[in-house]
Amino acid sequence: MEGERPSAAEAHLRTCANCRALVEDLESIRQAAAELTDVAPPERVWVSLRAQLEQEGLIRDASARKSGAWQWLTRPFTAWPRLAIAGAYLAALIAVAFALSGPIDQQYDDYRWSSAMQDSTAPLSAQLNTAEQAGLTSLATSDPTVTASLHDNLAIVDNYIALCEKSVRDEPENEVARDYLYTAYQQKAELVAQLAEHGDGSR
Amino acid sequence: MVGNAAEAEDLTQEAFLQLFRKISTFRGESAFSTWLHRLAVNVVLMKLRKKSGKETSLEQVTEPDEESGTPRRDFGIPDLKLTGSIDRVNLERAVEQLPPGYKSVFVLHDIQGYEHNEIAEIMGCSIGNSKSQLHKARMRLRDLLQETVRARAREERRAAGSVSSSED
Repeated sequence: MEGERPSAAEAHLRTCANCRALVEDLESIRQAAAELTDVAPPERVWVSLRAQLEQEGLIRDASARKSGAWQWLTRPFTAWPRLAIAGAYLAALIAVAFALSGPIDQQYDDYRWSSAMQDSTAPLSAQLNTAEQAGLTSLATSDPTVTASLHDNLAIVDNYIALCEKSVRDEPENEVARDYLYTAYQQKAELVAQLAEHGDGSR
Repeated sequence: MVGNAAEAEDLTQEAFLQLFRKISTFRGESAFSTWLHRLAVNVVLMKLRKKSGKETSLEQVTEPDEESGTPRRDFGIPDLKLTGSIDRVNLERAVEQLPPGYKSVFVLHDIQGYEHNEIAEIMGCSIGNSKSQLHKARMRLRDLLQETVRARAREERRAAGSVSSSED
């Protein structure tokens, strides 16, 4: 198949319909495959990758804010225990979404944005702490493989949320950054629902 | 390779994480793209090994009993020509059904355009092995695609049969 065929093979193909059909089919497959294109990964893969790399200290963001005010804001979110009861979490998510949609038409300075975000996410943080304890207890007797997978997925989403929050903090007027943050919370809510369902199913 | 978009995303992230962690080990003895591809293939093979629960080599992730590679003959079932009847969806579905070793070589060579010497370096096999795996992959795809064509022809015959019986 590769390169030029020997003359004996060419002579055989002129007389053998079966082999000629085989060669034509293999060539058709080769040509069809050449027209297939690779699929690019979605943006969330790169966002999550960057979050993981920053967490491992393999890359550093040169524009990162260093002030203590921002560190106290990010620390509770990245240290959040895993879970909330899905319903309560989703209710809090709606509150966050409302807060995130609020400043679209206004110019918030950094301090006012951090205050607004803290006001809307602090109740969420408290609910997550409570629900995480309940979730961890219910997972104790679950399939360890599934549990580990859920923990891994939550870690990825938590990193993604932390990175999105940082983006929104850096650029409060950036609607795309806010959309990404809301999408990140939605993904976490879905995982929370899965985990709550998994924990319930194991009882 | 893994037949699952979510898993492919996870493995893409893992491959690039490995890249950042191991970049200092790149010695420049091969092209960077070759080194990166080898790293990515290893990430995928590790995942497949974990799934199967045992160590697998390139040879083991193909079907070792398919040594001859000669056309299979199902007596009484004529070979159907594929020229002009291969569409993207059916080809992608057929590729998904290939054993991992066949799939790796087919994707690298026929889809991504790597030469056998590059594939041998990426996969850690010989050039001869790469050519053999590619030929077997194409033969398997031919069988799978012919079955798809037969299935479609059977459906069309059934549909035509039910239409004519309802008209009677």
